[in-house]
Amino acid sequence: MARKKFDPLPSAAFQILVALAGEDLHGYGIMRQVQQQTGGRTRLGPGTLYGSIRALLDERLIEEIESGAGSEAERRRFYRLTAAGRGMARAEAERLADLLRAARANNLLEGDRV
Amino acid sequence: MSEKRAAALYGWLLRLYPAAFREQYGDEALALFRDRYRDERGLMARTRLWMDLLADLAASVPRERRRFKMGAMALAAHRTGMPSFQVLEDESLRPSMAISGAAVSTVAFCICWILMSHWTWQSRAESDINGVGARAVVTIAAPTGSSEAGRNEKMLAPAAAASGVDPEQVAQAAALNLERYYVDHEAARKIADGLRQRAKAGAYNGAGDGRALAAMLTKDLMALSGGDRALTVNYFEAPLPEGPRAVSAESAARYREAVQAQNCMIRTAEVQPDHVGYIRLDGFPDPGVCEAKARAAMAKINGADAIIFDLRENGGGYPGMVALIAAYLFDHPEYLYNPREATTANSWTRSPVNGNRLAGKPVFLLISPRTRSGAEQFAYDLKALKRATLVGEKTGGAAHSGVFHRIDDHFGMGIPEVRAINPFGEGDWEGVGIEPDVKTPADAALATAEKLAAARAREIDALRRITAR
Repeated sequence: MARKKFDPLPSAAFQILVALAGEDLHGYGIMRQVQQQTGGRTRLGPGTLYGSIRALLDERLIEEIESGAGSEAERRRFYRLTAAGRGMARAEAERLADLLRAARANNLLEGDRV
Repeated sequence: MSEKRAAALYGWLLRLYPAAFREQYGDEALALFRDRYRDERGLMARTRLWMDLLADLAASVPRERRRFKMGAMALAAHRTGMPSFQVLEDESLRPSMAISGAAVSTVAFCICWILMSHWTWQSRAESDINGVGARAVVTIAAPTGSSEAGRNEKMLAPAAAASGVDPEQVAQAAALNLERYYVDHEAARKIADGLRQRAKAGAYNGAGDGRALAAMLTKDLMALSGGDRALTVNYFEAPLPEGPRAVSAESAARYREAVQAQNCMIRTAEVQPDHVGYIRLDGFPDPGVCEAKARAAMAKINGADAIIFDLRENGGGYPGMVALIAAYLFDHPEYLYNPREATTANSWTRSPVNGNRLAGKPVFLLISPRTRSGAEQFAYDLKALKRATLVGEKTGGAAHSGVFHRIDDHFGMGIPEVRAINPFGEGDWEGVGIEPDVKTPADAALATAEKLAAARAREIDALRRITAR
């Protein structure tokens, strides 16, 4: 089921998986990380972010963890990549790398002048 | 707007989501909004924040509702054979919904109004500056304004067979680029008018393909400008990238690695038994990467009584490196003419160089048709300053003085944007090359130069013995 639902993997979901590959993050942390890794081009809004998070949770590609510290009001839900999520992110990254190689081979990306 | 009020407004907007979603993530979404509101200050940042939120609502509300409905329908489908009714939303529509609806429209209206007034102001300012008014707005081919992109121009091979080329459009865009960037504004207007007239008269409609069209335009530009060879239109079969070419940290690192693996293009640097220093440079790499290696090579030949620079395979590079090496050949700052850059303090060599003994020694340059660009600058200036004897064959003739501008996916043009002071003569070596002082086949140039250099070295050595006595 997970394979079918995330085939193709939506951009927002992939961004979130990549963001979580580095460290466990809460919602705002994920948003910031995605913004950073896309050079500021992608700012996930709350609706898209939590919609994607729930879908990823449903398919067990990520899991929720207790943040532990902080007062009740400040306590945030943190998210962590599962083994399945890491596998799916890697598969997608490899697919993109293949595409990049093809783009290079067809001279879409230039070499540098030396 | 205070943070509290803004959060209350966003809280209203959150009610557009199904109750289940709100229950699960409403607080988190609100917390995220508060964080962003706190971090993103200033009119532009706040406007962007609200725009983001509205776009997010527009995209995710229907998705979440659809999802919620599907879940309910799946539940209903279990009871087969019986019509069933499900209540999808367990809350009735409250009056506050009307208020939140009104709030959304007001915010959206305000944002549109702010953005529209901003844009009108900006485009008006732009056309005032350019002085080309509406033409600047309708042109299909905005020039890129990138000066770095130009250095690549000759690397992409032009090829035949273009489809869907509109000659008049290309000519019009070329004319507009000229008016914007050509170093001589008055001449630019005349050339552009000439080009437009010819385009209107249909002079370019007969061009068979993109390459032929580029050649026709280049020929006309040369005639209209009174012989400016750096003014060109070029056709590229592979689509040209849009926007200025960014120099990324990654490509800079790749360049550094490649150039270091090539020993900074320094093939040999040695003093032969007859006191002739021989240094073969196959390029003038970035001094930011190669300064230490270049200085070490020059130090190695410091004891020579005559120097041979072998530039037969040197395709050019960075003017900074040309100046760095030329500095060793003078005991005072000397002006080097570079057609690509306007005259600045960096146009003079940083001579004398501490501990250097090469300033007065005879210099020979080996040149060939493969000596191009930056290497030709080195040869041109040393020849003009009567500081070197050029041995071999005429150089390639690539000054690259035009800055590249993209016209569309397949056409670009080179336009000289600066006029460097040339105290040595008219124009540069684009298309004509630099003649040697001693003509010999490039293969035999080293042997010829060695004989000349050895003779000069002997003279200097003899002179030294006399004065030492």
